[in-house]
This record gives sequence, structure tokens and C-alpha cells, in this order.
Amino acid sequence: MQSSGALSVRRIVITGILAAIAILLGVTRIGFIPVPNLSGNATIMHVPAIIGGVMEGPIVGLLVGAIFGLFSWLQATIPLFKDPLVAVLPRLFIGVTAYYSYAALKNNNEYLALVVGAVIGTLTNTVGVLGMAVIRGYLPLEAVVPIIPQAIAELIIAAIITVAVVAAWKRIEGGREGSTV
Amino acid sequence: MENFELLRNVTIGQYIPTGSVIHRLDPRAKLLAASFLILAISFASSILANIIFLIVILIITRISRIDVKYLLRGFILGLPILIFIFVMQFLFMGRAEPAGYVFFEWGWFRITQRSLYIMALSGLRLLSFVFLTSLITMTSTTTELTHGVEQLLRPFRRVRVPSHELALILMIALRFVPTLAEEMENIMKAQASRGADIGTGRMWRPDKAAKAYLPLIVPLFLNAFRRAEDLVWAMEARGYVGGEGRTNFIQLKSRGIDYVVVIAAFLFMIFMMVFPWPSISPILRQIGFMG
Repeated sequence: MQSSGALSVRRIVITGILAAIAILLGVTRIGFIPVPNLSGNATIMHVPAIIGGVMEGPIVGLLVGAIFGLFSWLQATIPLFKDPLVAVLPRLFIGVTAYYSYAALKNNNEYLALVVGAVIGTLTNTVGVLGMAVIRGYLPLEAVVPIIPQAIAELIIAAIITVAVVAAWKRIEGGREGSTV
Repeated sequence: MENFELLRNVTIGQYIPTGSVIHRLDPRAKLLAASFLILAISFASSILANIIFLIVILIITRISRIDVKYLLRGFILGLPILIFIFVMQFLFMGRAEPAGYVFFEWGWFRITQRSLYIMALSGLRLLSFVFLTSLITMTSTTTELTHGVEQLLRPFRRVRVPSHELALILMIALRFVPTLAEEMENIMKAQASRGADIGTGRMWRPDKAAKAYLPLIVPLFLNAFRRAEDLVWAMEARGYVGGEGRTNFIQLKSRGIDYVVVIAAFLFMIFMMVFPWPSISPILRQIGFMG
């Protein structure tokens, strides 16, 4: 199954499809879950990058994050995300940090590892984007405070969805050996 | 029922065919030139330079025969956030040091030379980025962009950047957006027919909100993974091998004008980065704006 290099056919396809989900979540507004906060929504658009990182490793996570970043940059209606240093750069690391924190804890407790992976991945997204916005001078540091409730909501939501999706997929893969086609 | 119709919303950017010179540029040239411009805008910290960028972008818009109305539409959509950013900057940026000339001071609230500079700079820069990204998606189709990316990355194969595979990933992603959107519609209808009530009303607890969305999100991912497995098997069965020695159905051809555009964009970037842009404060002082 392994083709040359780090990108096997399987990784190419899974990256593409996870990126498709990320784009879909962005363009159809399903990716925005209504919770009470300043913007009224918590995003789950970065979750495919986390799931890609956790399930297929850092390269897949990085590429899904890159495509998610590119599309949120090209598609964004929020002017803040029109700066590629804010929209694309931090997104590259979502899947990477998620993978490494998951891999570090995987042998102790699978579920805990998934939760931590999702939390770290989401934090990478939030802190990275807001950090770049502050560094680039778009937002003063004080403006970050009203965004904190949203960040917490996103952490919880991302953790629940990541655990649910990965656990469901592993159960299918484990339960029906060889019949995943 | 309109809640379920996702397909009609799936557009990536908006291609406006006017057949202008910009539209007919080689996508590689267009991408390169756009990257140079984006780099230059990203690192320009002078107000004057940013005004020039905005003018240049408006000139490009004129050449590509795209109505400025279309550009402004994207801008108006983002206006509430832009206002939020401005208010935040107005309130808090006065504390930033070195403050320079202080126009107004009341308690801890200040309007300083620096806070006005930051506001003007980020406003101009974001405006340029909004217009430029809209221009890219309005003047090139996604297929063109994908092929452009692949060809541009090709020289990097030597340092083991898998350009063909990266382009394939992009194509799979674009190809599967409508398919997954259709699937999502089916899932939403299926869950609604079982009496599920998803996405109505605000959830006060994020964990409950997440759980309410699980009946949509989990099947979406699982179906997508199943499709991925199918595609993997199909590609393996047909003996798919990566980029080495593959030929392309679409052949990109560069003409003289493409080279001119790339070189012009590159020189423009270098010029904008190296030129010692004067501060505008002396001018402001001259007209009596600053004491």
C-alpha cells in the first residue's frame, strides 16, 4: 500500500476528504455551532485537521490544516482572516500539535489522549490566530478577553466531537475486520 | 425545508468571466505575481506604501474589467467585524508605547500618534487583502489555480516536495465538497425525519450543543471515511503511482506577457520593500494637524 515518500495513496485520499469536510463546514455554516457568546457561534472547522492529525499522523494534520487555512483565507468575510499570516500560518500547526499530544498519551489512556489532542489542537488554532492578530496589530491584547468564553466553548465542543468520531471509526474498523470496503 | 439545501451554497469564491487580460494570464504567472504582492503588503509598515498598494489593486481591478461593486460586497460583509476591530483599537491602542504625539488624554484613555497609525495601517492593509483575495478568485477558476499550484511546486520535487500529490489532495478536496454536501443533506433529512431537532435555539452549555450536533457530524465523518476507503481501493486497484512520469491533460503555456507580469510584480515588491518610505507625520504637521 505504501507508495514512495511520506504520502501513501491512503494518506493522499484521507487528507483530501478531511479537507473537503473542513471546506464544507466553512461554506455551509454547519461548522458554526450556536452557543451564547460575543460572535454567537463556536467554530468546529478546525476539527478535521485535529482528526487528521490524530488518526493519520502529523503530515496529514498539517496538510488538512493548510487547506483549511487557505480556504478560510480565500473565503473569509471577516477582514481579520484576510491576512494570510493570521489565517493560514497558525492553522498549519493544528494537526501537528494535536498528533504529538495524542501520541504522547496514547499508551496510557486512549480517550484521555484524544481529549488532550483535541484540546491542544483547538488551543493551537485559537491562540495562534489571536496571537498573530495581536502581533500584527489588528487587535489590542485587551480585546482578547471577551473572546475567552468562545475559546472555552470551542475546546469542549472539539473534544466531544473528536472523541465521538474517532471512537466510532475505530469501533467500525476493529469490529468488522477486513470488511471496511 | 430550505435548511436542508446545502448544495446551492457551495461556491468557492466567485468566478466572474470577463475575458480580460488578467483572466487570460497563465495561472502560474498569476499566482506568482499575487504571492509577490501579498508578501509586499504583509511586510509594508508605511502608510504611504499601503495607499499605493490599494491604488495598484484598484488599477488591476480596472484592467480585469471587474466591477468595483463586487469587491465592495466582500468588504461590506465583513464590516461589523472591522468596526469591532476599530473600536477595540480606538479604546486600547492608546496605551501602546512609544506613543508619540498625544492628541487627547482622559484618564487612561488616550488618542496617540501611534494608535492612529496602527488603526490606519491595519485598515488599509486589511482592505488590500480583502480586494486582492476577491480578485484572485474572481479572475481564475479553481482548476486553473490547482494546476498552477502543482506546476509551481514542480521544481521543488528535487527537495522531496511531492508537488503532484499535493495538487491531487487539493483536487480530491474540491471534488468531494459537493458530494459530501449532498450526503450532509441526506443525513439532515434522515435525522429530521426521526424527529431530531438540530440547530434550533441557542444552547447555554457548549457540551450540550456539541452533543446535539453529534447525530450530524459523526455520520458525516464516517461516510466520508468510507468513501475514502473506496477511493483508496479503486486507486490501488488501477495501479495509481505518484507524480513521476505522469502527463497532464491540461498543458499550461506561458506567453511573453506572463513573464512580463511576473518580473514586474517581483520588481514592484522589491521596490516597495527597499524604498525608504517617508513618514507622513511631517505632512500632517505642515497642515496643522499635529502641534
